[in-house]
Amino acid sequence: MELGVLAGGIMIGLAALAAGIGNGLLFSRYLEGITRQPEAQSKLFSQAMITLGLVEALPIISIAFGILVLFGIVPPK
Amino acid sequence: MEATPKVEFLGLTFDLTVIFASLLTAAIVLVITILGTRGRAMRPGKFQNFVEMILEFIRGVNNMSFNTKRAERYLSFSLTLFLYIFIANQLGVLLMISADVHHPIPALGLTEEALSSVESKVALFKSPTADINVAIALAFAITIYAHIMGVRKSPKGYFTHYVKPYFWMLPLHLIDEVAKPVTHAMRLWANIFAGEVLIVILLSFGAPLITGAPLLVWIGFSLFVGTIQAYIFTVLATVYISQKTSDEH
Repeated sequence: MELGVLAGGIMIGLAALAAGIGNGLLFSRYLEGITRQPEAQSKLFSQAMITLGLVEALPIISIAFGILVLFGIVPPK
Repeated sequence: MEATPKVEFLGLTFDLTVIFASLLTAAIVLVITILGTRGRAMRPGKFQNFVEMILEFIRGVNNMSFNTKRAERYLSFSLTLFLYIFIANQLGVLLMISADVHHPIPALGLTEEALSSVESKVALFKSPTADINVAIALAFAITIYAHIMGVRKSPKGYFTHYVKPYFWMLPLHLIDEVAKPVTHAMRLWANIFAGEVLIVILLSFGAPLITGAPLLVWIGFSLFVGTIQAYIFTVLATVYISQKTSDEH
């Protein structure tokens, strides 16, 4: 049980770290893009949101499994 | 985390909440599309305008992966997929209703032990897509369809594709084919599941004055994430099908 809490904490923490780095890279480039070409903002925004969904996928999978481990659902107690 | 009523039948476990929520989602999609296409007018009213807007949006999605002729063929498929997942994602956020069950009901899998671990809370509604079985079923159905269409289009092209450009790339191709449906399903499931769990945590722990503001922000974000994920699931489904059926291979 205690090991499960530790494992869940590590999974969620690493996921937050990864999501922070990924989203930071993505949105820094997005902001760079709209500063260079303000008229392309609407086009870039939808592309940035699609990429956000793709980038967020792996951290959120780790968070979902972290929650399952943290609450002791997987593996069974 | 809330318990859900489950029924054992023929060695399989059926989650009644998920079955009910799936049927409700299908009914809502059916009502929206039937009402939106009844009495079509040349100058569309507000509701018809809304449904036509969604249709045009999905047409844009299909035109990104298919050529124009094939895009029209897959239009109803993509529209069904998008509407179903979109409504399913929002259902759990907007209709998160749970009931207090004080007496254990062993026939529905609500034993004393299961109830005590969730403080007698039993979910009446949840997103069907927050259950991994639903997400995996959707993703695997799409993958199997894509493979069948690939074989039907050209069996030789389909099987030689695995050993191109070099023969030693066969394991890489096989891993790729397995990873695609798994990540496709988990991307959807994990987003919706994590969103719902955080809502439940904010609802059940802490004083409402402290968790109220984060809760409202997170509900807004969950609605946004549900929309984005429905869109991404549809885009990836069309991409996976077009990879197997496009003319280049």
